[in-house]
Amino acid sequence: MDFSIIFGNAARAAFGPEAVILALAAIGLNVHFGYTGLLNIGQVGFLLLGAYGTSVSVATFGWSLWAGVVVGLLLSVAFAVALGIPTLRLNTVMFAMVTIAAAEIIRILIGSTDAIGLTGGPLSVSFDAGAFYDLNPYPDGPHDRYGIGTFEFTGQQLWVITVGWLLVALVTAGVVMLVRSPWGRVLKSIREDQDAARSLGKNVFSYKMQALVIGGAIGGMGGVIDAIKTSGADPNGFRPQVTFFAYTALLLGGSATYLGPVLGAVLFWFLREWIESFLRQIVEEAWLPDVVAEFFDGAEGVISVAMVGVALILLMLLRPQGIVGNRTEMQLDAR
Amino acid sequence: MPDELTPQADSEQREAALPPADGGVPAIEPAPADGGVPAIEPILTVPHEPGAPKPDPILEVDGLSRSFGGLLAVDVDHLEVQRGATTALIGPNGAGKTTLFNLLSGFERADTGHWSFNGEAVTNPSADGLARKGMIRTFQLTKSLAKLTVIDNVLLGAPRQRGEKLWAAPFPNRWRSQEEANTERAEALLERFNLAHMRDELAGTLSGGQRKLLEVARALMADPVLIMLDEPMAGVNPALAQSLMHHITQLVYEGLSVVFIEHAMDVVTGISDWVVVLAQGQVIAEGPPWKVIHDDQVIDAYLGRRRAGAAR
Repeated sequence: MDFSIIFGNAARAAFGPEAVILALAAIGLNVHFGYTGLLNIGQVGFLLLGAYGTSVSVATFGWSLWAGVVVGLLLSVAFAVALGIPTLRLNTVMFAMVTIAAAEIIRILIGSTDAIGLTGGPLSVSFDAGAFYDLNPYPDGPHDRYGIGTFEFTGQQLWVITVGWLLVALVTAGVVMLVRSPWGRVLKSIREDQDAARSLGKNVFSYKMQALVIGGAIGGMGGVIDAIKTSGADPNGFRPQVTFFAYTALLLGGSATYLGPVLGAVLFWFLREWIESFLRQIVEEAWLPDVVAEFFDGAEGVISVAMVGVALILLMLLRPQGIVGNRTEMQLDAR
Repeated sequence: MPDELTPQADSEQREAALPPADGGVPAIEPAPADGGVPAIEPILTVPHEPGAPKPDPILEVDGLSRSFGGLLAVDVDHLEVQRGATTALIGPNGAGKTTLFNLLSGFERADTGHWSFNGEAVTNPSADGLARKGMIRTFQLTKSLAKLTVIDNVLLGAPRQRGEKLWAAPFPNRWRSQEEANTERAEALLERFNLAHMRDELAGTLSGGQRKLLEVARALMADPVLIMLDEPMAGVNPALAQSLMHHITQLVYEGLSVVFIEHAMDVVTGISDWVVVLAQGQVIAEGPPWKVIHDDQVIDAYLGRRRAGAAR
């Protein structure tokens, strides 16, 4: 059993591009759910449009990567508006159902065989993200590695996560600036009681729409990073669990806090990878009876996700406000 | 009471809405608790009958109705509310008082009817639009924003905030001065409602009575022309209720018009200039409190004969 490998893998996942993508998805959800109280469970739809907008623009239409990025972001904004107009007046539960349905509809349409010509359909679409990697300042020869042990990245990966975490920092700063303003106060008042906000002259629909668009665009950025990282997109990467992982990250870190979604995303991937590596080593070292080892073998990934679920349950019991949340605020819910 | 709480500098455009200086709000002592003296001169001339026209109505309602299933909850033929007066809306449970509030303030759609507010016909009523025009209401079940601090609750009420625009929000220099002025006002309001010591506490930690006060403070922050209070005294302990009553009388001296729903008769007789009685959705009586509480119809509908006899 080599814990340096386990921790190396876990740290690699915690700071890798997947964590960046999850962090962006969770920051978007924080704007929706944490601050405005919009129970959006179709966040993955925004990521999908960010990723496919970028990929399809380049792969199918032959536009430049940067045009693709803009298209990806515009599509997620358009999705927010199209989703918001008919649904923002619905109650929380109805809104939630429509968001998950809408995200699934897009995924199924994009992944259908009829869409092969445009999006690659069930096959993934891939494109040349060279324009992005051309800017890579890190030497990226076949033997260039950055990091220690299993916590190491290639030059290209390091470039993706550098840009990714910078983006996370910028977006977080932007959200902080917005939320600390009177504008943010209105969002929170809508979360607490939208009729109260309305009775004080706030146009609740308009604010919800603004929040939906902003949070959706942030999710879309996650999708763009995903597309650039993999130089493509695959419909299977945008199943509903992506949204649930983002919620897990948000709740782990602390909903309606500035750093909660980021810390949560890092912790989510750390735990997930730590458990998976740990299980893999156990199986390899034949510590377990064959029957059990057979059960674990090849299922490490699934089990680790289940264990993250267990961690979330424990967290809800022991620290319901999340890592950086405010306990007093949380307790008010029970009143 | 501090003077800066009187209608604010940034509400010049509302000046027309305030009562005329020539005696709209006579500076006399509050009406005694036994309800003997009507406080507002103009209202003396108004006949004591349902739908009576008022000399200077801030609210005029015509043919307003709303039914839920087979139940006609509100069916108001004509109603006027005097500007610069305290009007109590009373009636037995289920009389349609809150529904009438909801209709007038845009929280529910009327089936028929129209009304005008502050001299302007209300077409396509929306709750937030009416609030921006100065019709501010509170709720029977208080809507304090539990996870906002007390001061934020009050600040939310401030109208026309530059920092509430998305494009200005990230740039504090665009709204800081206004925010500071608002904070000063909000603090003065908290002081006035004995909530100053709770300034930075989350509103969810307040007691029920304090939340009522907070809601009124927040409503005042919105520069109302007409303030509509739905059972402001419900669940408030007698000492706080007394101070809230005092505040309401004070509001009227400051030029506001007040309509409130109330069940406690001592409150009604204590602070209202005019009483409108609703029963089964209809206005069945109107008049000064001392008159209305002795009205046979009202006693039948609302007070019950025995209790009214005892009160006498």
